[in-house]
Amino acid sequence: MKRNILTVIIGAVLILIFGLLLFVFQVRQSEVAVVTTFGKPVRDLTEPGAYFKWPWPVQKVYKFDQRTQNFEDKFSENLTSDSITLLTSVYVGWKISDAQSFFPKFAGGSMSAAQRMLESTLRSAKSAVISKHTLSELVNADPKALQFDGIESEIEQAVQVQLQTNNCGIELEFLGFKKIGLPESVTQAVFARMTSDRQRLINQFQYEGEAEAQKIKSAAERQASEVVNNAVADATRIRGEGEAEAAKVLPVFQQNPELANFLLRIDALQQSLNQRSTLIFDERTPPFDLFTGIPASSTSQGH
Amino acid sequence: MVELYMERNAAKNGLVNLVAVVIIFIAAFGVTYYVNSLAGQIASVFLGLGALVAFASWFQMRLEENERLEKLEMDELAGGRSGSALFETKDAEVFPARRAREQFEKFFVPGFGVLLLLLEAGGAWLLWGWIGRATSGVAPDRAMPALALFAIFALLLFLFGRFSVTMARLENHRLLRPGASFILLGAYICFITALAIAGVKAEFPRADFYIARGLCVLLGLVAAEMLVTLLLEIYRPRVRGKITRLVYDSRLVGLLGQPESLFTTAAQALDYQFGFNVSETWFFRLLQKNLPALLLVQLAVLLLSTCVVFVDAGEQAVLERFGKPVAGGVLTPGAHIKLPWPADRVYLYRTEQIQTFDVGYAPDATTENEKTILWSVAHAKEDNFLVGNHESVTIKNENTDTNDTLKAPPVSLLTVSIPVQFQIHDVMAWAYQNADPTNLLQDLATRAVVHYLAGVDLNSVMSQAKLEAEQTLRDQIQAAADARRLGVKILFVGLQDIHPPVKVAGDYEKVVGAEQTKLAKILDAQADAIRTNALAGALAFTTTNIADATRQRLEVQALARAALFTNQIPAFAAAPSVYRQRAYFQTFAAATANARKYILLVTNTEEVVIFDLEDKIREDLLNLNVPNSQSP
Repeated sequence: MKRNILTVIIGAVLILIFGLLLFVFQVRQSEVAVVTTFGKPVRDLTEPGAYFKWPWPVQKVYKFDQRTQNFEDKFSENLTSDSITLLTSVYVGWKISDAQSFFPKFAGGSMSAAQRMLESTLRSAKSAVISKHTLSELVNADPKALQFDGIESEIEQAVQVQLQTNNCGIELEFLGFKKIGLPESVTQAVFARMTSDRQRLINQFQYEGEAEAQKIKSAAERQASEVVNNAVADATRIRGEGEAEAAKVLPVFQQNPELANFLLRIDALQQSLNQRSTLIFDERTPPFDLFTGIPASSTSQGH
Repeated sequence: MVELYMERNAAKNGLVNLVAVVIIFIAAFGVTYYVNSLAGQIASVFLGLGALVAFASWFQMRLEENERLEKLEMDELAGGRSGSALFETKDAEVFPARRAREQFEKFFVPGFGVLLLLLEAGGAWLLWGWIGRATSGVAPDRAMPALALFAIFALLLFLFGRFSVTMARLENHRLLRPGASFILLGAYICFITALAIAGVKAEFPRADFYIARGLCVLLGLVAAEMLVTLLLEIYRPRVRGKITRLVYDSRLVGLLGQPESLFTTAAQALDYQFGFNVSETWFFRLLQKNLPALLLVQLAVLLLSTCVVFVDAGEQAVLERFGKPVAGGVLTPGAHIKLPWPADRVYLYRTEQIQTFDVGYAPDATTENEKTILWSVAHAKEDNFLVGNHESVTIKNENTDTNDTLKAPPVSLLTVSIPVQFQIHDVMAWAYQNADPTNLLQDLATRAVVHYLAGVDLNSVMSQAKLEAEQTLRDQIQAAADARRLGVKILFVGLQDIHPPVKVAGDYEKVVGAEQTKLAKILDAQADAIRTNALAGALAFTTTNIADATRQRLEVQALARAALFTNQIPAFAAAPSVYRQRAYFQTFAAATANARKYILLVTNTEEVVIFDLEDKIREDLLNLNVPNSQSP
């Protein structure tokens, strides 16, 4: 008997749990639910709590996440108005604004189907907007020329308009560029330009250095030359002063000009023969004239 | 005769089971292929194993039937011959059927057990991997027919299985049991497969996957049980006359096929393994008697355990009652009481912990431990960001596109590594505003970086604007997170690594090198200038000093000459010609002492004497290397 009571209790608990699961469902704070009766939407539940329903297949409950969903579209290539191919990727935040409208549009309220639809709409809008703008409006070191936020807004508006047209119960919350890039071939061209730019700077530094060095050397040489020239001028002046001072004693030599001239000649002779010289004399030049008085045989032996 | 009839009847049942399970196996495999169900695939494997077991047991039944026929014939012959020694031969020759049955049990049955083990274990292993890699699921438009067919398979197998299980309880029908157990289990698995397909149809797309995974685990358990059975079979005590249990008769399969026989199966297993009646002990009987109560207690404990929640340090929890957050329901670290599942549910979040993500790069495990980080060596998987470039824009506006290099867009590329650290400060906002807040925060941060770099100059952001950039980015990310009500506080945004892409980084380094070279050249020139000026000063000093010396020499010599002349006048006046001649010869001798002298002592005046006075330079002097010397 005791065993039967336990079995009944276990059975009752299991039936209670099973019954609760069949007849009651919960909607979380983060969810919105649509209840269908034989496939027809009859209730739209946006408030969290526990609700009653008839078991399947009479009623079915479709729950959707009503929080903002975000996804990133593909990194796709578009042409700007200045004919530059640009790769962009956009992230998007969207949420279900009207579950009853959303539910029938996407095969039982499939979030992934909604996302696919949104992605195709987004790509189309993105391509259209980017083709109206130049690259420099999207990337520019001059803040006045930059229209980054404006382009994002244009894409967002284009998508929003399409969503309103579709009336699919989706609301676009936000949109922004996640990535902006260039195709590989253009990237290589940019790399080449960056390299050339660097090479220009390298050359600039190299030749600026040489020019600067040359200027410094030239200035130094000019300054040195100036100093030396001044020194030479001073030296000439000093020598002149010396000459003038020396000339003061010339009246002494005037006492006997003949002797003075003779001595000057002798000095000149001595100074001129100081250098390496070869002299050819004949027998008439004193003191070699002494050779004229010597017998011929003796002279021959002398050679 | 009745015994023989029953034996034949058992073999017939075995054959019917075999045919039924083979047909249903083929049909189930076809339906599985049709609907592309993962669970159906595993069900087919179970049915295939069931077909093998049914075949083995049917074959063994046939052998036992032949043995009994043989025994009857021999008994009749023995009655007619009255023990003539003429026909006394060995057993193997007299009872070939018995011999065949014994050989079958001795060699085939263990071998078949090993084969089953390999199939079950290999199947579980391969199917587990295959399920994980499967990309497609149940075709929704084919779900309903497949569901109905699997339900029919389940019903048919259940009927065959229940009948055979009941028959297997009869004496001499024990060989029906292995196949019957597999058929019953197959029935339940087909039913579960139908549920899996129904789950997919009812918008639970992962139901098929999870049930397939569960069946895979079950197949692995059956394989494990087979392994244990084979090992225990080696050490089992052999009792003469006791009927051995078939190795391929899985207890687990029997238990799952007939869960009501849990205790019977357990008792049989224990009795069989230990060689005495364990099932008659007081403990076993107590367990058997109170099992429902134990299950109830366990269920109650399980339910009560959901009434307590422990929140770890650094975490906060959101408490929901029937899906609605309880007022003030943010639970702080510690133990908390709540209503049992499914009324109250708790969701934990790491709020105190400083969380980090990276923008612009993904760490590379191969280079992560490098001690030196260079621009020109890739040290992570880095993204290239577009950045403005003042200089390029100027070039493009001033010139036409005749130069190839000007066709590149007026932008540059930059690589940045930006770690972002954040903390959840409003757990309710974090939990309920966005479906994937972590990913969204990363999107917002990346967008802020892209936006910032798109509007600044490459060179400035790499140098003086770096600190300003960090602050600006932190403010922008915080503002974006607040606008999206993420409930986070941005603690740190660091431009820890900002440089040109690896491919051009080397050129940037060369520019730095060129700048240094320029400075070096200027410094060299300055050193030269110092030297030149110093030497020029020295030369000037020397020149003026020489001039001073010359002046002094001239003055002194002039005075000396005047004094000498004054003294020479009296001597000259005394003997003018002699004095003159003496002075001449003294001077001549002194002046020509070192000169090369040629004296012509010729009398014939018409003789022509030719002198070659060309200087001859010594050959060794011509080979002398004279170092260059710079004049000051």
